[in-house]
Amino acid sequence: MINILSYGCIVIGIVFWFWGTSYLLGKRSLLFKLHTLSVSDTLGSISIVFGLLLKIPREWPLLILGIICLAMWNTMLGYVLAYCSSTGGEDE
Amino acid sequence: MNLVVIAMIVALLIPVYEAWKNDHVWQKMLAFASISSKAAVMILVVSVLRDDWMIGIVGVIILSVGNAALMLLANVLKRMSDL
Repeated sequence: MINILSYGCIVIGIVFWFWGTSYLLGKRSLLFKLHTLSVSDTLGSISIVFGLLLKIPREWPLLILGIICLAMWNTMLGYVLAYCSSTGGEDE
Repeated sequence: MNLVVIAMIVALLIPVYEAWKNDHVWQKMLAFASISSKAAVMILVVSVLRDDWMIGIVGVIILSVGNAALMLLANVLKRMSDL
């Protein structure tokens, strides 16, 4: 049961990765790509790491630290990239 | 579990291709940010696969401090384009 749940989380995370990264190849604006990419990378990676946590619960401090760092840093990087790119030039 | 790693490598190839093809600097930054977080999560998956937590610690260190360099680089690029 736990095994199925952990594989389910990992597969959902990989589907998120593919969904968000596929927009990177299009011709949309930078902020649109940034939004989809940061959502998919953060949520997909958290889902994958949570699946790993269900698989090996004895290493929970390390994996929880990884989840917290993902949630904090990826959102902050998204904000900083959006701020720098939208005021740095004419590329909206 | 091997299939998971193969799927992650395929997902990693998309931003690598984008960073190689696109000459626009912010698109490159975006692709590199995606590569860094994807590679760190891949390191964690491989460490679980091999049951080797020395590798896992490397992945968590990359997750915790890796994006800071990209933020500094984004600020430097912005200042350079302001000048």
